[in-house]
Amino acid sequence: MLSHLVVGSSLYFGDSLFYAICFLLLLWIVKVLAWKPVTKMMQDRADKISSDIDSAEKSRTEAAGLVEQRQTALNASRGEAQTIVQNAKTNGQQQRDQIMAQAQTDAQTLKANAQKDIAQEREDALAGARNDVADLSIEIASKIIQRELNADDQKALIDSYIEGLGKHHES
Amino acid sequence: MNDGPVSTFQFLGLTFSTANVVSGLVVFLLVVAVVFFTSRHLAMKPTKGQNFLEWLIEFTNGILKGSIPSNEVSGFGLYGFTLFLFLFLSNQLGLFLQLTFHNATIVRSPTSDPIVTLTFSLMTLMLAQFAGVQKLGYKKHFTNYLKPFVFWLPISIFEEFTNFLTLGLRIFGVIFSGEMLLKLIWGLATSHGIATMIVAVPIEMVWQGFSAFLGAIQAFVFVTLSSVYISQKLEVEE
Repeated sequence: MLSHLVVGSSLYFGDSLFYAICFLLLLWIVKVLAWKPVTKMMQDRADKISSDIDSAEKSRTEAAGLVEQRQTALNASRGEAQTIVQNAKTNGQQQRDQIMAQAQTDAQTLKANAQKDIAQEREDALAGARNDVADLSIEIASKIIQRELNADDQKALIDSYIEGLGKHHES
Repeated sequence: MNDGPVSTFQFLGLTFSTANVVSGLVVFLLVVAVVFFTSRHLAMKPTKGQNFLEWLIEFTNGILKGSIPSNEVSGFGLYGFTLFLFLFLSNQLGLFLQLTFHNATIVRSPTSDPIVTLTFSLMTLMLAQFAGVQKLGYKKHFTNYLKPFVFWLPISIFEEFTNFLTLGLRIFGVIFSGEMLLKLIWGLATSHGIATMIVAVPIEMVWQGFSAFLGAIQAFVFVTLSSVYISQKLEVEE
C-alpha cells in the first residue's frame, strides 16, 4: 500500500480531492443540519439558566424583604393589640368604678325615698285611721245614744277614749 | 487487502480507488445520518438523540479548549466536531463491514489508506496556516518561522512537513495494522477447519474490541493534535 506513495503515477490523487470535497460538503451539511441549531439551543439554554439563576436570586432577595416586612408588621400589630387590650382594661376598670358608684348612689337614694315613703304612708295611715275611727265612733255613738253630738265634743270624747285605749294597751 | 488487486478508475484524468470512494461515501452518509437523526425535535429540555449530540459537541469542544484559547474555540468547533465524527466512524467501519466485490475490496476503513489520512492531515495544516494568517496577518505569521532566530527557518519548515506526515501516518498505521491483523486472524481461523476456528474466533473478537478502542483513541488524538497545530499558529512566538 505504501508503495503507491512512492510510485507517483499510481498515487490516487483523485481520492485526495474526493475526500477534501466530501469533507467540505460534510462540514456544510453538519453545520446546517445540526451544528447551528444545536449550538444555538445550547447557548439559549445557557442564557436561560443564567437568567433563571439571576431571577431566583432576585426573588430570594424579594422574599427576604417580604419576610422582614411581615415581621415588622407582626411586631407592630402585636404592640397595637397590647395597647388595645390595655385601653380596654383601663376603660373597663373606669366603667366598673362608675357603675359601682352610680349603683351605690341609686341604692342610697332609693333607700332614702323608701324610708320617706314608708314614714309618709305610716303618717297617712295613722291620720286616716284616726279620722275613720272618729267618724265610725260618731256613727256608732249616735246610733247608740240616739243623740246628736257636736263634733268637737265628740272628738274630745274619742281622744279620751283612745288615750284610755292606749293606756289600756300599754298596761 | 494488500493481496487482492486494487480496483481503480480514471475520472477527469485523475486516478480514483474504488474502495476509498465507496467507503468514503458510506462514512459520509453515516455521519449525515447520525447528525440528522440526533438533531430532530431540538428542545430546551434535551431528549435522547439531542443529549448524545450535545454531549459529542461538548466533548470535541473540550478537546479544542485543551489547546486553543477559549475565545478562539468557536471558530474551530465545527471543524473539530465533523473531523472527529468522520474519523471515528471511518476507523470503526472496517472493523464491522468489509465488502469484497470481484475479489477487490470496496468497503473498508477509509483511514487504512495513507492517502486519506494525509488528506485530512494536510487539511488541518492548511487550516492552521489560514487561521494564523487571519489572526496575525501575513507579516507576523511568517516571521514566526524565524523565531527564536533566523537560522531556525529550515527546522521550522521541516517541522511543518513532519507534522503533516506524522499526523496522517499515525492514524493510518494504527487502523491499517488493526485491519491487517483482523484479516490474518480470520485467515488463521479458516485455515484448518473447526479446530482453528474455535481458537481464532475469541482472539478475533478481542482484537476487534481492542481495534474499536484504538480507533476511538486515534480519532481523539487526531483532533487533539489538530487543535495543537492550529493553536501554535494563533500566537506569536517569543
